[in-house]
Amino acid sequence: MKSGYIYTIVFMFIVSAVFTFFLAGANEFLLPKIQENERLAERKSLLYVFNIDQNGTADEVFARFDANIKPATSGGIDLYTQVDAAGNVLGYAVPFSGAGLWGTIRGYLGVSADLQSVLGIVFTSQNETPGLGGRIEEPAYREQYRNLAIVAGQPLAYGEAGGGKLDAITGATQTSNAVLKILNTLLSETVSKLEVMPGG
Amino acid sequence: MAETVKSVISRNMWKDNQVLRQILGICSSLAVTNLMTNSLVMGIGLTFTTALSSLTLSAMRNLIPHRIRMIVQTLIIAAYVILVDIFLKAYVPDISKQLGPYVGLIITNCIIMGRAEAFAQKNPPFLSFLDGLFAGLGYTTVLLIISFIRELLGFGTLFGFNVNFIGFETWTIMVMPPAAFFIIGTLIWISSNLLAKSGKKKG
Repeated sequence: MKSGYIYTIVFMFIVSAVFTFFLAGANEFLLPKIQENERLAERKSLLYVFNIDQNGTADEVFARFDANIKPATSGGIDLYTQVDAAGNVLGYAVPFSGAGLWGTIRGYLGVSADLQSVLGIVFTSQNETPGLGGRIEEPAYREQYRNLAIVAGQPLAYGEAGGGKLDAITGATQTSNAVLKILNTLLSETVSKLEVMPGG
Repeated sequence: MAETVKSVISRNMWKDNQVLRQILGICSSLAVTNLMTNSLVMGIGLTFTTALSSLTLSAMRNLIPHRIRMIVQTLIIAAYVILVDIFLKAYVPDISKQLGPYVGLIITNCIIMGRAEAFAQKNPPFLSFLDGLFAGLGYTTVLLIISFIRELLGFGTLFGFNVNFIGFETWTIMVMPPAAFFIIGTLIWISSNLLAKSGKKKG
């Protein structure tokens, strides 16, 4: 009986159904919380790009986000703009993605409204080596991009500190170079095509 | 050979430790042990999965048709791993992000299926649960020992807290997987020696 084909098939059906039901239930129950976490993480990333305080409770973060940042379309791409109380555009957060060493690196690059400087950078997803390439997410690396001047015809580069040069991550040359390549492509192909909005 | 609660514990924690004696679960031991926090969460995830899948499989052991038992094991293990993944995403999103694909890879950890095949299919539910629980705890202990050495020397921190008081230069090699390879090798060597010695004494 126990080794019969019918028993085997019925058994497999029942076991699959029970466990699928059980997982679907858990997923359904926790999904709102997971989506809320993801939305919060995204909001915090964008606040960071524009150098706005990203601490506080979830409600405070959402309120601050809504007061300062608006989604928009410029130059044919969807991005976020930082606006002041009067509605003037202060800067853009342009999404980017590109190949890292192991996987796709995604994030936002903040540029000022006149497109003359970088406001900040944030990486929202990356699969680089933890502790090496993964350190692009750490403040020591990303803080270097704050208020970096964008000079036409002079791509971002690593070198000795000062003079607009950045520090690469020791032991993670491939990831460091991949990030610069993504950003330089973004600056030359996307950021330069943004339409500077009135009042900017 | 009838197993008692005591023998299940001592076997899994030391005599037949999954990592040191059975050389199982090596992939994750190399991958997630550069930070103690990640090792701890990985250990808890694996312990939870192994204990509950052993319990479930043992409770169902007289119903599962022998020729499809491995498919059933995989299904049940996968269900628990997905559950762990969902919980981490919902309650500790930061750690979930750091562990990334490794949580999903708990499914492929040989320890879980090894316990299911070697123990849960022949033993009653409570003992199987304990067997899974302590197999997981044995694994977690080894992971924590490895990550203690790696995080201390590689970052100068423990559980993210800076303990590098004398300001020594941190070792990049400790952050990378090869370091775990050397440390595991050394631990296996030490444990084999200790076990061989205690075996001799008993005669």
